[in-house]
Amino acid sequence: MFAAAPDSGLQQTTSYKVVLPFYLFAAFSFLISCILLLINTDIAHAHYFHPKTLAITHLMALGWGTMIILGASHQLLPVLIEGKLDSNLLAILSFVFAAIGIPLLVTGFYLFNTGLILQIGAFLVNTSVICYFLNVIRSIEESKKYNVHAFYIATASLWLFATTFFGLLLVFNFSRSWLPENSIEYLSLHAHLGLVGWFLLLIVGVASRLIPMFLISKHTSPKTLWWIFTLINIALLAFIVLKSSGAFPKLYYSPFLLVFIAILLFGNYCYRAYKTRIRKHVDEQMKISLLSVAMLVLPFLSLLAIIYFITEDSASNLVLVYGFCIFFGWISALILGMTFKTLPFIIWNKVYQIRAIGKTLTPKELFSENLFKVMGLFYLTGFILFLVGILLLNNLLLKSGASLLLASAIFYVINVLKTMFHQIKK
Amino acid sequence: MDVLSNNNLYCSAALAGLYDVFDPEIGLNVVDLGLIYRIDFNDEDKTIAVTMTLTTQFCPMGENITADVKQSVNNTFKDYLVSIILVFEPAWSVDRISVEGQDFLDH
Repeated sequence: MFAAAPDSGLQQTTSYKVVLPFYLFAAFSFLISCILLLINTDIAHAHYFHPKTLAITHLMALGWGTMIILGASHQLLPVLIEGKLDSNLLAILSFVFAAIGIPLLVTGFYLFNTGLILQIGAFLVNTSVICYFLNVIRSIEESKKYNVHAFYIATASLWLFATTFFGLLLVFNFSRSWLPENSIEYLSLHAHLGLVGWFLLLIVGVASRLIPMFLISKHTSPKTLWWIFTLINIALLAFIVLKSSGAFPKLYYSPFLLVFIAILLFGNYCYRAYKTRIRKHVDEQMKISLLSVAMLVLPFLSLLAIIYFITEDSASNLVLVYGFCIFFGWISALILGMTFKTLPFIIWNKVYQIRAIGKTLTPKELFSENLFKVMGLFYLTGFILFLVGILLLNNLLLKSGASLLLASAIFYVINVLKTMFHQIKK
Repeated sequence: MDVLSNNNLYCSAALAGLYDVFDPEIGLNVVDLGLIYRIDFNDEDKTIAVTMTLTTQFCPMGENITADVKQSVNNTFKDYLVSIILVFEPAWSVDRISVEGQDFLDH
């Protein structure tokens, strides 16, 4: 009647020691990004290829987005591939190289020192990504469960390597000019390898497992996920071909359309999971995470406008809107929500391994829910004000928006530290 | 959802303790959640076998939940050796949640 699971049948979790440094680094990267944004609001008036803009963008993309996703994916890899993480050492090395490389890279951009600082930073970031990529591939090989989520994470990490390797080439191109064009010409290709290939693919792959799990919904549709996977990858390959061949700008609508269909399918997937959820109450963390899926509309609208106005001066301002909506909008909203769905469980597992049944705090009691709500409010208001500030080039709105974003980052860091250093009350 | 057993009296005692074991994410106890399939007692060799499942095979909290179940049954039956048999066939489904559990999740 009952079929016992092979081995212990239990999911093998990754050690918290591997994961927590990534979370901590990411939290402070977000804080520093917001400080830099506040003291450099004048970048909204400048071209997007501005040293300060490049520094903030890379700190948000690598220090904030990538570091927390690397940390979370080391923790969630066993859930996704139905196996275990192959090597803790590779995970630690991945952190160490990135933790040294990212500050160097960001400093290099900020000071526009295109020499050794930037080059060493880019080299170390690549080394970190190689460690991560090897770990993912070896873990999947060992688990021998080639499900759709495994394909998402493996392909996304391959695109991440393509992004950082291309970035390394661009960094060396600053000082030696050995690529056919100026580095600025390759910027959109470098950015979209990362945005679509790494962030979008990985987030869809991970969220498609986590959202139904956290909502306690039985909704699953591997067929839909395969469609999304195919559409995103074809769109990215098409964009690479179009960009490399110097195609007519309006042809960029075709990869745009493919990704747009993929996002619609993913939105529908999330909606179905939401509608078939068993637990009616949806907590604040899930709300902000689900909101991030809806926030994808903003970069899409700005991208549509960029393609339309691609040859005009106003496109530069739209590129800033596009980047801001992605890094401070979609990715940040998702991380702000998901941090407090994953981190408390990691800490809870660590602290309450030996405990008195029925008398322990629940994971969601490890952080302050009120502080989370205030953070969410400050974040959303700050995001909207800064966005309108870029569009209207209004300094007051830019400063107010950046101040509120900084306040939300401070609340976020406080809550992360409160969770991380939680101890059993005697 | 009924829990099968070869000793209903002992089973009730074990379940009374298991009402204090919670799934930390859902906040509902493992009995109302329907995670416990069967509890068998062997008086001769003083062993108890708890057959149970998890809401998902990939539950990161699985180790903690099964450890809690084992500890809880051990607290009730101190002289017995408790073993957990984790099964995913039949898979857990919403239908296994008790009326009280569904009430909790609805609010």
